[in-house]
Amino acid sequence: MTCRDVKQLLRRENVEGPACADDSALALHLKSCRRCSEALKVVRLSSALLQSLRTEGGGPGPAFYLRLQGRLTDAELVQPDMSLLHALGLARQLIPVLAMGVLLLAGVTLSIGGSRSLLPDQVRGGTDVYAFSLDEVNLPGVVGEPNRDQMLAFVLRQDDVLGPESVRATDRSAVRPRSGRQVE
Amino acid sequence: MMDRRKDQEPAERWREASEREADLIRQAQEGDRQAFEALLRLHEQYVFAIIGSFLRRKQDAEDLAQDIFLKAYLAIRRFRLGAPFAPWLRRITVNTCYDHLRKTRRRSEITFTDLGESERDLTHILAEQGSPSIRTDIGDQVAARDLAERILADLAPKDRLVITLREVHGLEIAEIADAIGCSRAAAKVRLWRARRAMQAWLQRLIRQEEDTASREGRNE
Repeated sequence: MTCRDVKQLLRRENVEGPACADDSALALHLKSCRRCSEALKVVRLSSALLQSLRTEGGGPGPAFYLRLQGRLTDAELVQPDMSLLHALGLARQLIPVLAMGVLLLAGVTLSIGGSRSLLPDQVRGGTDVYAFSLDEVNLPGVVGEPNRDQMLAFVLRQDDVLGPESVRATDRSAVRPRSGRQVE
Repeated sequence: MMDRRKDQEPAERWREASEREADLIRQAQEGDRQAFEALLRLHEQYVFAIIGSFLRRKQDAEDLAQDIFLKAYLAIRRFRLGAPFAPWLRRITVNTCYDHLRKTRRRSEITFTDLGESERDLTHILAEQGSPSIRTDIGDQVAARDLAERILADLAPKDRLVITLREVHGLEIAEIADAIGCSRAAAKVRLWRARRAMQAWLQRLIRQEEDTASREGRNE
């Protein structure tokens, strides 16, 4: 028997069995090999000490369950109402669903409101810009989009009162869009 | 025909027992404390066996068992019906023992000279002959347990749990991993580490014993 064989034998944790005790080859090897002899002693000692921790037939005493029932009663008194806890637990489970709903609603509102606030009346340059500005700034009495005659009347009126130069200045200021109304 | 009936009997008994256990669990979940007590009585031996490998005094063991059963009572409503009850209770037991070990851990360096005369003799006998040599003598059993506890006290609480569950209670690695809440690989590593640490301790003791014996031999 070699040291490797002994190592395998110890690994199998079969050191206490009669096969091991009666193994003359093992005994012969252990006499000549101090290391294996020590390893075998360690395994035997370790196994024996661990076995000593095994307790058998150790049940509770006669008053054990009486005492336990008392503690269970105390614990129930201390414990909060389970139905309330259950309701809170359910509410907690609903939080993600509610949050998702709120976010969804907010998104819808933003998208609707956004389309209204962003360039509601897009006027694409030239005459239209002019007409839009007249409508907004200079023709407050006009309901809806001013027609050409209303615009012409306004220009002529300005021309009569202030002269052509001032009309041009008015035109320029009128053409400038108000803040908040973006023109593409 | 007779053989088949014999085979069916244990299966039938097992089915009845598991049905009864399921009924008790259901009643306990509805707040029936008598049913809960009956359920505990089915598993008390196992719980006390695990506790007994860490605590020797009966009163201490009962106190810890009370804590375990109280925890189980407070958690039984969350227990999933149909799942095995024993591993669930074992998990609570092991976790409570672990907390206890953490709180009461006292590290002590043992040398051969610290041991009393009887402990030295016992170490020698056990190393030479193994555990069958002390099975009959209660004094030796107590001394062996003393020594085992002193050595295991030096291990990390989780390592101590793992080696006790494996070597004393014969649990499989998967069961240990489930009980202490780790992977199988981690449980294996812990077991290997605990065995190695314990064997290193014992190796030191044996060498010191041999040195002492040879010195005494020279003096004589």
